[in-house]
Amino acid sequence: MNAVTTYEVRPAGSRYEGAVILLVTIAVVAVLALYVREQGRSDDVEEIFEWQVSAFATLTGADQAIYNSLYTVAEEIPYIYDDINFSNAPGEKFRWPSIEDFQYYLLPPFYKDTSWEQNGSLQWSLYEPLPEGEMQGSTLYLGTDGQLPGQGSFLLVIGHVHAGFTNNNAIVIWWNEANHVEMPESGFQDGLILRGWREVVPYSGEQEVDRIYGE
Amino acid sequence: MRLSDLIQRPLLGLVTIVLAFAAGAADAAGLKIGITLHPYYSFVANIVGDRAEIVPLIDANANPHGYAPQPNDMIRMTTMDVLIVNGIGHDAWAFEILDAAGVADTLQLIYANDGVSLIPIAGDPSGEKIVNPHTFISTTAAIQQVYTIARQLGERDPDNATYFRNNARRYALEIRRLRSEFDEKVVGVNLSNFRCATMHSGYDYILQELGLQVTAVIEPRHGVEPSARQLADTIDRIEAADVNVLFAEKYFASRLSDTIREATGVNMYSISHISSGEYTAEKFVSEMRENLGTLARAITDTADASR
Repeated sequence: MNAVTTYEVRPAGSRYEGAVILLVTIAVVAVLALYVREQGRSDDVEEIFEWQVSAFATLTGADQAIYNSLYTVAEEIPYIYDDINFSNAPGEKFRWPSIEDFQYYLLPPFYKDTSWEQNGSLQWSLYEPLPEGEMQGSTLYLGTDGQLPGQGSFLLVIGHVHAGFTNNNAIVIWWNEANHVEMPESGFQDGLILRGWREVVPYSGEQEVDRIYGE
Repeated sequence: MRLSDLIQRPLLGLVTIVLAFAAGAADAAGLKIGITLHPYYSFVANIVGDRAEIVPLIDANANPHGYAPQPNDMIRMTTMDVLIVNGIGHDAWAFEILDAAGVADTLQLIYANDGVSLIPIAGDPSGEKIVNPHTFISTTAAIQQVYTIARQLGERDPDNATYFRNNARRYALEIRRLRSEFDEKVVGVNLSNFRCATMHSGYDYILQELGLQVTAVIEPRHGVEPSARQLADTIDRIEAADVNVLFAEKYFASRLSDTIREATGVNMYSISHISSGEYTAEKFVSEMRENLGTLARAITDTADASR
């Protein structure tokens, strides 16, 4: 019987094979990382300022529902304003809709129904700092004293150019984490921020479309 | 002048006149408006009345979830002046058809959700904030879309802009009255024991509007059934939170709903996704009325059982 002889066979390029595989792996990972950075989905759905709060990412439950209702109300208030002032007599002062007017239009979050109760029964009031008909400075709707734990307060401001606002009848919605808040003296941004108000910004369908399909 | 000229010139003139008349008639007939989903048919029909034509992109009984584009869709798309899309994940197939039909650069789109403040999918076990695209199963978010569509159609058809806007307002009030009808059914009912889960995320907008929070969602993403482990965790969450109502899809049945009902003893109710059947102007209001009626019944049943 012949004795068994063992030979160790090594590949010709064995000295470099490991290094080549390592380099190729690093190159593949680097290319993929670059691709993901450029083309991949970002989880940062929106960028906002310190004095703003995201309706999508931060507000929850009832406060999110109230904000979304206010957001749609902003679309309707100018129409209601036209309705209620349509048949004004000559010289009669124009006015913005009252909380009672909103009851007639079944308009949440002002309309007092079961959903209003479920969302905390916020107490709404209207304030016009300079009640001079068409020349009023701004119109404020405050919702406060919600009944749900941790619920904040809301302020809808309609600003007017002649009172120093940038855009006429521009509507801005503010949120304050305090459950009870007194009516602010004016709707100007700086004063509101100093008193703990933060502008609520939506994550809109337009932003989502941009995220999915690119601008 | 040759005899043929004597015949051809008046004939050409006649053809020109007929084509001009036809073009004028087409203008008078208004826009040809494409839509991707059933609710958008109802929205547009109530906005434009008889002053435009509505062209559904896909067949009435096609399931828009995971829809595979068909050749006819491309033909329909080439006839449209404008297409109204959800655009945030519920009709991604429309963009495939746009590319396939070669009109991606020419067909104007109206993104119905442009002005909608979106919410995340509720009760997602991952805790991630994923955009919920079911904005049309709602009242407030639906009204916002009606206004967006009316405004953008008015920009494309200025002669009818006021007509569209007035119709949008009338329709918005009709949608809002659905909430009043719902309220009449539940006013005074004790909701403190009402805790619900949903089979998928389609009902988050309407439930949130009504102040009804969702404890758990079984299938947060359409068509992606949970694993055995995820399902077991969800059942644990339902039991831990003492959930007593499960809302399932009316038209797209899932065997999982029966499994969960058997495992937890919850009462199950069916909600319409408004995504199937004939395209009609009344469909959205009709099915939302039915949905709100079902929600009211779930609430009163729960209150009765708690007495």
